[in-house]
Amino acid sequence: MDKEQIKKELIQHIIEYLNLSDYTTEDITDDMPLFGDSGLELDSIDSLELTVMLEREFGVKITNPTEGRKILVDVNSMADFIIANKEKADK
Amino acid sequence: MYIIKTSCISPQKTHDGSYANDIISYNGNKYNAIEPDYKGLIRPAQLRRMGKTIRMGIGAGLPILQDIERVDGIILASSEGGLEDCIKFLNQIVDYDEGSLTPTNFVQSTPNALAGNLALMSKCQAYNMTHVHRGGAMENALLDALLLFEEKKADLLLLGNVEEISDYNFNIETLAGQFKKEEVTSDALLNSQTPGTVCGEGSSMFLLSNNPDNALAEIMDVAQVSFPHKEDILDFIIGFLSRNLLSPEDIDTIIIGKNGDVRTDFWYDYVCDELFQSQNQYSFKNIVGEYPTSIAFATHFACELLAGKDAPEETIIREINAPKNILIYNHFKGEQHGVILIRK
Repeated sequence: MDKEQIKKELIQHIIEYLNLSDYTTEDITDDMPLFGDSGLELDSIDSLELTVMLEREFGVKITNPTEGRKILVDVNSMADFIIANKEKADK
Repeated sequence: MYIIKTSCISPQKTHDGSYANDIISYNGNKYNAIEPDYKGLIRPAQLRRMGKTIRMGIGAGLPILQDIERVDGIILASSEGGLEDCIKFLNQIVDYDEGSLTPTNFVQSTPNALAGNLALMSKCQAYNMTHVHRGGAMENALLDALLLFEEKKADLLLLGNVEEISDYNFNIETLAGQFKKEEVTSDALLNSQTPGTVCGEGSSMFLLSNNPDNALAEIMDVAQVSFPHKEDILDFIIGFLSRNLLSPEDIDTIIIGKNGDVRTDFWYDYVCDELFQSQNQYSFKNIVGEYPTSIAFATHFACELLAGKDAPEETIIREINAPKNILIYNHFKGEQHGVILIRK
């Protein structure tokens, strides 16, 4: 699966898992911040939902909470994490 | 114990008080709640995570708490709480082999999640209790409040119920014969003469005080009995009235929980024929459906009658004069029977 495809699927899962009914897939851009005062403005419970989503839908696990802060930045960073971990698993 | 404020979400437009002249008719055996627009009341980030039970309970409870500095406790009644989320959570445990589970379903999976949410949102760190005794939960919640007031442990309480239609309980109860197999309109429900009833949902909330100032109504007493014999129910009601120094003749209005189930509606006919032949008589389940804590809706309805509001035509079995002393008599599946005495 290429990065574009992963990002497309990620956005669909983010909307579904977080019940972001006010958003469409077009509304969420690859570099839109997930947390903070701009972008999606998600909170700590959402970060747990996203962690579970990555594990269930993409088979990748965030084991270190500090690592999570760097991964759950935007759709781009999440896609990079998925690709890096898939590559590790394939080797 | 006095009711100062009340609020209600139900299968009728009770949330804005416009339902009496605009009753919604239903066909079939599910009466889903008409929910208000929660925007402005609940933050979008919280709202999108809320299951129906929490949403309805917050939607009914929070407006009551606005403008109130503090309450001395939050008491809820719910037979099953947010069952939809609970079942989702339990299914995830199986589906994902006890692996990572989503927190949202988990935090809403217990009946007391609503009372907790109301406490968090209103910053109430006082008494917090949820009663879950199926068809007796609301009566027990009221009894809890009566005792707190009597023991002078509270001056102001938020008390209410919540119940949702979940696929799980609806399917199980349908298999058990609780709901009608044939399609019946709400207009014909009470005279359907067939087994089963219709499933309802909703949340009624009350601000209760030990001070009569600005009260809508006074709840004089409440009682509940489980699995009575038919011959015992009259003694139960007469005893309940007499401990409040009343007789059936002192009651001018009875609100009954008739639900169109031919197997259990005889209780109401029996009580009304024997004790309340010439009083005002109202029903309510033909407009909101049956659920374990539906007596909470009857209490809300009683408050509206005592405030002088016209009863919807669909609820009037017999109307003679303006209600002043109301007895609510309700049972759940003919097993748990409850009475509430309420007056202006």
